[in-house]
Amino acid sequence: MDREEFVLVRDMVRSLATRFGVTSADEVKPSTRTAAQQALDELGLAELRRTSPPAATAQECALLAQEHGRRPLTTSLLGTVLLAPELLRLLGAQPDTRTTPTIALTRELRFPGQASTDLVAWDCEGADSALRVSAEGTVGRVELGPAAPGTDLVRAVRSVPSDAPVEVVGRLTPPDRLRWQAYALVVVTAELVGAASSFVEQAVEYARVRRQYGRPIGSFQAVQHLLADATVLVEACTSVTRYAAWCLDNEPPERALAAARAAKAEVNSSALEAVYAGMQVFGGIAQTWEHTAHLYLRKVRLGSTLLATTADLLPALAVPEVTR
Amino acid sequence: MTDTPLDFGDPADLDRLRREFRAWLAEHPLPERQSGEPVPVFLRRWHRLLHSGGWVGLDVPERYGGRGLTALHQVAISDELGACRAPGVPRIGYLAHALLEFGSEEQRLRFLPRMLAGDEVWCQGFSEPGAGSDLAGMSTFAERHDDHYTVRGQKLWTSYAQYSGLCLLLARTDRAAPAHKSISAFVLPLDRPGVTVRPLRAANGDDEFCELFLDDVRVEESERVGAEGVGWALAMTTVSYERNALDTGHISKYGLLVERLRRHAAERHGGLPDGLLSRIGRCVVDYEVLVAHARRRTAERLAGQVAGPESSVDKLLMTRTEQRLYDTALEVFPDELAGEGGELFGDYLYSRAASVYGGTSQIQRNIIAKRILHLPSNG
Ligand SMILES: Cc1cc2nc3c(=O)[nH]c(=O)nc-3n(C[C@H](O)[C@H](O)[C@H](O)COP(=O)(O)OP(=O)(O)OC[C@H]3O[C@@H](n4cnc5c(N)ncnc54)[C@H](O)[C@@H]3O)c2cc1C
Repeated sequence: MDREEFVLVRDMVRSLATRFGVTSADEVKPSTRTAAQQALDELGLAELRRTSPPAATAQECALLAQEHGRRPLTTSLLGTVLLAPELLRLLGAQPDTRTTPTIALTRELRFPGQASTDLVAWDCEGADSALRVSAEGTVGRVELGPAAPGTDLVRAVRSVPSDAPVEVVGRLTPPDRLRWQAYALVVVTAELVGAASSFVEQAVEYARVRRQYGRPIGSFQAVQHLLADATVLVEACTSVTRYAAWCLDNEPPERALAAARAAKAEVNSSALEAVYAGMQVFGGIAQTWEHTAHLYLRKVRLGSTLLATTADLLPALAVPEVTR
Repeated sequence: MTDTPLDFGDPADLDRLRREFRAWLAEHPLPERQSGEPVPVFLRRWHRLLHSGGWVGLDVPERYGGRGLTALHQVAISDELGACRAPGVPRIGYLAHALLEFGSEEQRLRFLPRMLAGDEVWCQGFSEPGAGSDLAGMSTFAERHDDHYTVRGQKLWTSYAQYSGLCLLLARTDRAAPAHKSISAFVLPLDRPGVTVRPLRAANGDDEFCELFLDDVRVEESERVGAEGVGWALAMTTVSYERNALDTGHISKYGLLVERLRRHAAERHGGLPDGLLSRIGRCVVDYEVLVAHARRRTAERLAGQVAGPESSVDKLLMTRTEQRLYDTALEVFPDELAGEGGELFGDYLYSRAASVYGGTSQIQRNIIAKRILHLPSNG
């Protein structure tokens, strides 16, 4: 896309977020979920990554995911708009607008390995099926079971019946399997970066207005340093994720996957650390059910285990052969 | 600015420059440091060799001895040097910027070509015993006469003054005006009568920094850089260039050590103590973050963004990387701690200075809080 076009698309996501961003956990209801998803579907963004070559670069998709992460949203931008269409595109499957798949992950929210593992349909608002990629790269479509409880209160997850038939859709080539993993890591990571950066900005704003001892709490150096450190962490997350996305557009898949893993590893710890700092600045109010702080915390904490945990990544990155 | 796509890629002319530089390097073997040769002396030989090929000051206009290209060309050269394990580019960028931005045309013509050529070595006389973080509180005073000043005071931590001919000196020129408006900058030749340079031994044993005693030193008016009172603005420009992530020489140095740790991890796979593999992985991540961050800054610069207080973010990220890396390296190579300590141990000691020089980490956080986040000041 050219810049103007991208800004237009990004602003559409931004205004969707303003309209449907949840301002308290109690607002998450089936009716509001459906309305928000409908509004997202009407934007037609699934086209961005359906054609080959895709209309949007990976960097642009990552930026949209980041925008989406800035507010607690129930919409499935990641699952049904960015991730599942990308899988089908890599497979060279004919665009089919009659179904809306999302992606299937293991119950622990990792990339599925063996065919027999317990699966969930992740980020499945508005989805009617889920795509599972096996360890060998076979992509199969599975049915959705009932809603599954999740610690991230805004993200919809459903179970996948263990006896559900798998309809094979195709098979990824080995380089495409790496591309797929890198893309999924980047998109998921970008959403977490959006969440952490937005939350830290909100904490900075709060520090300007909240007064104690007759002055704004943001004038205390201890508070300033907490926020400065959180800002550095957010900048680190932003840089490494932006670069990983760029690598997907410009570098071979091995390099892109290594960059995506580094990005995920940084964000797993730094985005969380930044959210902790932001919550500290909010004081008691961030500990209430009504405040959005815990929605951010839930997303980022669960997000740090999504697809790849720090414990998975660091030992693997320590040795030169990053692609196993 | 950074919420639209960035171009992290190399434009074709950068690619061509890299190829030319590699070809030149292939014909000009890196000099070896002779035994007992102090690092600054060795680096100066290297500086001159690089200059002879036209590889210094690429972003400085041609009439001042540079090549009239951009900061990105300079970054490309830094990258290439890192990749072939050569010493970095001479660290003169921030001094050159001070002269380019604040010096008179006559001063630029007089000083820059010789600075770029390595014919004249410069040091930076900002800090004082009583003015470190609170630089504006300096007390060195330059008293005005008709066409000259007499300077009295003491500077501290002046790196490599013992190997330098010229010093970019800050001194008060007004006792009454508020601190930030009363400081001026001068070019001081260190062989002037009244100047005493006394080297201090650093924690790692190196002769890096010095004390500078100034006893009624005569400095000409023509040696003042910029108007009276602009010294503070000049100092802020200088340090923000000194801190930014575009000087990728450091980054390449970290990269070499990270690779060494990874090779060790691969050879000893599984045999490393618990947790150490993860700590090496963490260093790899820190390094990747820094590379990505420097690339992003380059891309932002390419998109027209000018340098500002965000260099404090760069400095804190660089510090995090360096300190965690050398700490881990000692853990991986415990022999470095044996006896009087190896080279890596010396570098480890120096890594502790990263959170002090160029403004401490606390000062960088103050800058981020005030100038990036615009948090209210206390009182
Ligand atoms: C290796 C090395 C090379 C150097 N090279 C040069 C050089 O070439 N030229 C030059 O001019 N200087 C140089 N310096 C000096 C350097 O810039 C100063 O050391 C630095 O600015 C800190 O000043 P200080 O040492 O007086 O510490 P102080 O300012 O006394 O600080 C002591 C402690 O107090 C903290 N502190 C101080 N003020 C505040 C505040 N407002 N808020 C929170 N915490 C605060 C600091 O963070 C630090 O932890 C060099 C220093 C080193 C270590």
